[in-house]
Amino acid sequence: MRATLTVLAAALLLAFGGEASAGAQTIRDDLGRPFVLPEKTPARIVSLAPNITEILFALGLGPNIAGATRFCDYPPEARTLPRIGGLVDPNIEIIQSLRPDLVIAFRGNPLRVLERLSDLSLPVFILDIGNGLDTLYPLIERIGRVTRREREALALAASLRAREKAVETALGAVASRPRVFVFLYGQGLWTCGGQSYLNDLIVRAGAVNIAAPLPKKWALYSRERIVRDDPDAVFVLAKSPDDFEKARAWLAGEARLGTIAAVASGRVFLLDENAASRFGPRLVEVLAAMARALHPERFGGRP
Amino acid sequence: MRGRAKLRLVLALLVLFAAAGFLLSLLVGPAGTSAEDFWRFLSGRNQEQAVIFLDLRLARAVLAFLVGASLALSGAILQGYFQNPMADPFVVGVSSGASLGAVLAIALGLRASFLGFSEQGLLAFASGLGIVALVYALSQRKGLFKIETLLLTGIAAGALASALTSFFLFMRSDSFDQAVFWLLGSFQLAGWKEVWTVAPWFAVSLVVSLWLAKDMNLLVLGDEAAQALGCPVRRVRRAFLVIASLIASLSVSVSGIIGFVGLVVPHGIRLLIGPDHRRLFPCAALAGGTFLLYADLVARTILPSELPIGVITAAVGAPFFLYLLHQKR
Repeated sequence: MRATLTVLAAALLLAFGGEASAGAQTIRDDLGRPFVLPEKTPARIVSLAPNITEILFALGLGPNIAGATRFCDYPPEARTLPRIGGLVDPNIEIIQSLRPDLVIAFRGNPLRVLERLSDLSLPVFILDIGNGLDTLYPLIERIGRVTRREREALALAASLRAREKAVETALGAVASRPRVFVFLYGQGLWTCGGQSYLNDLIVRAGAVNIAAPLPKKWALYSRERIVRDDPDAVFVLAKSPDDFEKARAWLAGEARLGTIAAVASGRVFLLDENAASRFGPRLVEVLAAMARALHPERFGGRP
Repeated sequence: MRGRAKLRLVLALLVLFAAAGFLLSLLVGPAGTSAEDFWRFLSGRNQEQAVIFLDLRLARAVLAFLVGASLALSGAILQGYFQNPMADPFVVGVSSGASLGAVLAIALGLRASFLGFSEQGLLAFASGLGIVALVYALSQRKGLFKIETLLLTGIAAGALASALTSFFLFMRSDSFDQAVFWLLGSFQLAGWKEVWTVAPWFAVSLVVSLWLAKDMNLLVLGDEAAQALGCPVRRVRRAFLVIASLIASLSVSVSGIIGFVGLVVPHGIRLLIGPDHRRLFPCAALAGGTFLLYADLVARTILPSELPIGVITAAVGAPFFLYLLHQKR
């Protein structure tokens, strides 16, 4: 119901907005800075984050991207884009030399770099990383607005909502909510706290994140806490099946976490790190994967 | 006479190197412009790359030069002031104090400006000067400085300031890049705004230091002797301490902490042209600017992504300093 209303409202806004003024529409970015909407789809977009690049491609704007970060590797076509540097070290000179007509940045880029880009009178639109699917759809719609692909953005958001609904319907009212630990395989025991979008996915997948009480997006957890919390399942964010095996072996052996319920019962699952670490369209796939792993009986599998 | 010829040679070489450094800085960059592009820009036929040449590369080169000159001049002043070749803005705590002030200004969200200072620059100067005054007061014993006391006090006060800086940086979650910036320095974000923060005060300080250079020469003889020879010791000392702190603090407020320039450059120049501060001050400033110009050139070209410039200055400065120390013994 709420979803339909949002779509309706957006459609109304479009209908009237388009009529009221041909050029001078202004919206605010996530830092509250006014941004004048271009009249037509920008042809030379610079994306400063992988999730933004991914959404641009999903809106059919791949050919309009003039530059992206070295972390922008999805979809595969993104790998051949000109590189403008990384997330925290985008190169101002390269960006300027690409003569972009739109720079889409995110809050994780250094603010001082974004200010410098604005000083050079480049049109910079800054987006925040949301804390759940409810902020993902508006994010996509906002990217649709600044790139004048409103219709495609609404369609994409609607199809993602439908995927989300399908998972929700399949799960129904789950009887018991397993308690899960999310493990970012790499340096240290990093996990996602209560303010992360992954926490939102875990809740939607019919489970509880043991690190939810931490009021952060990403947080370091301790082995002692994991033993105390004794999670029923562990999701490992790994870059490859190889890394996943290493992570599983590490949990059972070196980390001496073999006694926790999840490891003892073999409920350690792989999540695609690439999809799960980006606040983009593939999050609904991650949601589906989580739900299927935790509640296989609801998806026609054996419990 | 021989000294004068040598001075001329050193000056000529420095100016030559500096000019070449500026030219290189304008030509080299990740946007891959050719010398032809540059020529077309200069002759006014193609202004498409004006932003890259002027607002990005030239502003950056000018700022690197100004900061290098400021740090080296500050170091030259402090070395004369404390009559100690180990003194420099970092060792006496100015740099750490200034970065604390700048970070504090950001953490408090101060944005206004005052008398041409940015709040950041102002707070950097205040805390830089504060730390130096503290170190000065704590390491003075009956009007004399013991070298070890000065060094240790400076290091301790600097470490305290650094700890507070790190604390304010890590309180905010999005500050990793900021931490690297403040602790190792960078000119990545250099623009004309930063140039105008430093330039006027550097010019004033250079003039004042040249004007008082003769008095600095007298101070080397000891405060009592200097007083007897007609040098207003207390006023001169105060003026030197203020300008040395001012230019070092403003440098830190626009580019983070860049080590070793203030230590090594005045040292090397003194070995080349002798200890007369009337020559030492301008030559050290010119050499410091040139050194940082090239250091920044290396920092932004050696790897695909930029290195913090403090890495380069330490990598070049530290071995050179060890060599100097060894030579002296």
